[in-house]
Amino acid sequence: MDAFLAGMAILVDPYMLFLVVAGTVLGIVVGALPGISGSTTTALLLPLTVTMTPAAALAFLGSIYCAANFGGSITAILINTPGDPSASATAFDGYPMAKRGEAGKALGMSAVSSAIGGIFSVVVLIVAAPALARLAYQFGPPEYFALAVFGLSMVAAIGGDSPVKNLLAAAFGVLIATVGLDLTTGVERFAFGVPELSDGIDFIPVLVGLFAIAELLERASQHGTVQDWIKLNKVELPSLADFRKCAKSIFLGSSIGTFIGALPALGATTAALIAYNETRRWSRHKAEFGKGAIEGVAGPEAANNAAVGGAMVPTLALGIPGSTTTAIILAGLMVQGVRPGPHLFTEQPTLLYVVFSSMLAANLLYLVMGMGAAKLFARIAMIPDAYLWPAVFVLSVVGAYAPNQSMFDVGTMLVFGVIGFALRRYGFSPAPLIMGLVLGKMVEETLKQSLLIFDQNWLMFLSRPVVVVLFVITLGGMFAPLLARGWGRLYRAARGRTA
Amino acid sequence: MRSRTDLGVASATLVFCAAAYALTFRFDKVPEALMSGLGAEFFPRLILAAMAIFAVLIALGVGNAPLAPPPRLPRMVWITGAAMLLFMALVEVLGMWLAAFLFLVGLGRLWGERSLVKLSVSALGLCAVLYLVFVRLLGGNFPLGLLGALRS
Repeated sequence: MDAFLAGMAILVDPYMLFLVVAGTVLGIVVGALPGISGSTTTALLLPLTVTMTPAAALAFLGSIYCAANFGGSITAILINTPGDPSASATAFDGYPMAKRGEAGKALGMSAVSSAIGGIFSVVVLIVAAPALARLAYQFGPPEYFALAVFGLSMVAAIGGDSPVKNLLAAAFGVLIATVGLDLTTGVERFAFGVPELSDGIDFIPVLVGLFAIAELLERASQHGTVQDWIKLNKVELPSLADFRKCAKSIFLGSSIGTFIGALPALGATTAALIAYNETRRWSRHKAEFGKGAIEGVAGPEAANNAAVGGAMVPTLALGIPGSTTTAIILAGLMVQGVRPGPHLFTEQPTLLYVVFSSMLAANLLYLVMGMGAAKLFARIAMIPDAYLWPAVFVLSVVGAYAPNQSMFDVGTMLVFGVIGFALRRYGFSPAPLIMGLVLGKMVEETLKQSLLIFDQNWLMFLSRPVVVVLFVITLGGMFAPLLARGWGRLYRAARGRTA
Repeated sequence: MRSRTDLGVASATLVFCAAAYALTFRFDKVPEALMSGLGAEFFPRLILAAMAIFAVLIALGVGNAPLAPPPRLPRMVWITGAAMLLFMALVEVLGMWLAAFLFLVGLGRLWGERSLVKLSVSALGLCAVLYLVFVRLLGGNFPLGLLGALRS
């Protein structure tokens, strides 16, 4: 309780309050800018947080993460282009609502349901994270190895139709994490005699390159596309009738979002898409979906914001990222020498309650800002590409250079920008690569520690019940999409024969 | 179902895996007496083997929807890439801030903004903000380039 009060009290500190407000405003603005997602912003601003205390950095990045998902809905509704991928499901009904003159109503429902989903998930985070951490206290290296492998296997589900490519990208990320000195033997790996590579590849240039530079090249490839903006008069609070209609969707979205968010690797985008389908399935007005159903805005918006708190649960309690953005936040904490996990709950409980309180504050703040200033944010989102993207590049260069004052890092950023762009062109998502990069060291260290404990006997992994359960879930998660696809093919073939 | 693009991706991955695997033989050897547990090369090889298996699955069209060949890279991508490389070279000569200013104006112009005044004002504003935050506030040292070195 003392730690909770201390965490809350930090928010009275003007500096922390400033960071939460700045993070929320930045989150909404960049969330609304098509192409710059919450992950990209978090990666871009990560260098700035290196100089902050871990608590301040977490409060700042956490606020951006919370607000970016809401910001994404502004452009999803007004121009049918989600500012953040997590708002893609919002566009299905938000844009048709805007086209028939209900943009303000759609944005109002988006703000309210986002805030409810976000607050719901933070409450779950406050209860579940310490409980999970207590459970994880019993874990040794074998359990952590199994957990990290489980986290990596979950990337198969990111992006939907190419699970094997996601696994390949994650493995590539793990391979990148092996560059530099091997801690157990002191042998240099893949460093090619380059001194900067001896300590491994820094997270920050890789993250900035994969998100910001790759996105810049992507925008260059779409240069000249004109977007049709719908005029927004004012944002309206949902009426009581709208609320009654959407209550079930908001509850469904909040629950689904929190649960999906808490699963390693799956973030707000997956949560919102699943919530949209479930909202439609349980709605009495199925026929309205896709044509401007307000429930189709409420469900996914509640879900994508609920996923934020959910994603923080495994990140803080186990050190396993719940989403791409939390992987970036985790990387930022690791750069500062903080490794989240169960020990954090006993060693630095105040730090955790700062996260909880700043996320609660950010959810309330963007509700107020969303209702009051959505028009302004929409206007900011209209910054022409000719100003926005060159600025993103300069910000990326400065951000990649600043932490180590090294042009080598800027070069690394450019190389990973090109890699990220090429990966996207060939159907890969950068998110699994980030998961692999962040979890890579943990996988290798815990594997080596486990084998030392087991006297190099691999079969001993099977003597640990938690490990066995996690391995079974991992195999199920990896092969389920393949089996489902194969089963579907067989079923269709059988139906074709009988028809 | 297989696609030629996926076959290309799988082949490139396999070549990369083979090259990286070969590199693991060039890691320094640890004397037997000092070795405990797995060697430094074990884990990278394990990951490379996993990558090779995934590449084969992609080549066989297992577990992913077939990918259509990506469209030709538009000219603007090449121009933007070249501008980035030019920026890197300019940093060495002009220093970070002047190079950043020129990049913002130059690429903005190439991306379609006609007003050089507007571009210059916004570029100056951004450079000033970044300078204040990263140099004045956080105490960073950014490259001054040859011109900066000559001046000092």
